[in-house]
Amino acid sequence: MGQVIFGIVLLIALMIPPVATLMESVMIIHMHMQMPLLVIAGFFIARFFLDRFPRSFEKYNQNGLPGILLFSIIMIYWMLPRTMDEALTLQSVELFKFISLPFLAGVPLRDSWKKLSKVGKSNLITVFTVIFLGLGWVYIQSNDQLCNNYLVIDQMILGWGFITMAICMVIYLIYTLIVDPSQYE
Amino acid sequence: MITVIKNRQTLYACSIVFVFGFILFFIGTDGFTAYTAESARVTKLIENQPEFPEVTLEDSEGRTYSISEFEDKYVFITFIYTGCTTVCIQLEQNMAQVYNQIPREYLGQEIVFLSISFDPTRDDPAMLDKYKDMFKSDGETWRMARIPNQVELDSLLEKFGVIVIPDGNGNFAHNAAFYTVDGNGSLVDVMDFSDIDAAANKVVSLIEAGKGE
Repeated sequence: MGQVIFGIVLLIALMIPPVATLMESVMIIHMHMQMPLLVIAGFFIARFFLDRFPRSFEKYNQNGLPGILLFSIIMIYWMLPRTMDEALTLQSVELFKFISLPFLAGVPLRDSWKKLSKVGKSNLITVFTVIFLGLGWVYIQSNDQLCNNYLVIDQMILGWGFITMAICMVIYLIYTLIVDPSQYE
Repeated sequence: MITVIKNRQTLYACSIVFVFGFILFFIGTDGFTAYTAESARVTKLIENQPEFPEVTLEDSEGRTYSISEFEDKYVFITFIYTGCTTVCIQLEQNMAQVYNQIPREYLGQEIVFLSISFDPTRDDPAMLDKYKDMFKSDGETWRMARIPNQVELDSLLEKFGVIVIPDGNGNFAHNAAFYTVDGNGSLVDVMDFSDIDAAANKVVSLIEAGKGE
């Protein structure tokens, strides 16, 4: 129960206007800190839903695939330049962001991750690595301003942030291939 | 990669997620057309056709007037500031090339070119006069003007969707396009400034369609 409270507190803290405005003022913090933190808040709050509706989760998300699909769709949606821009100009989109990232991405992630096989987890990380590399390249090489609320230099920093994340994920994937944790038990 | 669908409920769940995702992306990108806020904005602008507000323009000759100075003529507009070392140079060069493609007899009669500065403090008539010479603008059929009143300027920028972000060093980041206003002062088109021929053709056909009536 403690983690649910923690998740709710985190979510509320992120929603407070000065905090939200500060995080959204820098493009890379908006996308690579605020959005992941919202997902993490949902991850913790998920325990409440998992305890309340265990059978529904078991029935509809048996192998974790629908959940991970929903998670991926929501994540990719929020990586589009347009949606990030509109979150800053339209209140309704901003609200949708604060609802969809915790509850439509964080909660499914919590339930689906443990149901995935080792191969499934590696595949998911590989897919996101490719997406991050692609999106990172788009943001770096684009000479036009993709977002009206951010400068071109901001989007280049964001692009390099994506590449860095992708490199970290590749390192993790190599680790999972090479290291066999059971040898260290 | 796709693990075997173990039961029907999971299949339903996957299908619902797919449909939801499709609808979400469809709405979010206006039918998969606009992935940036800029393209969405432009589409919306052309649908709404906002009116050029009653602001006071002061051109490079020091003359002052409102947009009604060009009543019954098309006005081909760009938004610039003379201190810009990046996109404005290209924008105005392209504007000059569009200008050169317009038949001589239309210039000044059916259509006027207008470059509006959104930096009125630095871009006074003298500065605009020097700037216009860089692009061989004659100051008559192609005018460069500022809007000295900041409130009026902001209302125009907002109405036409011109986003200007000062970067703290005296420079601005801004979107750039060719704006076409008709004889009644309504914005009828926003065009990509890098496609000179398309812009020139569109403008000429607008003029000729109007004359045919």
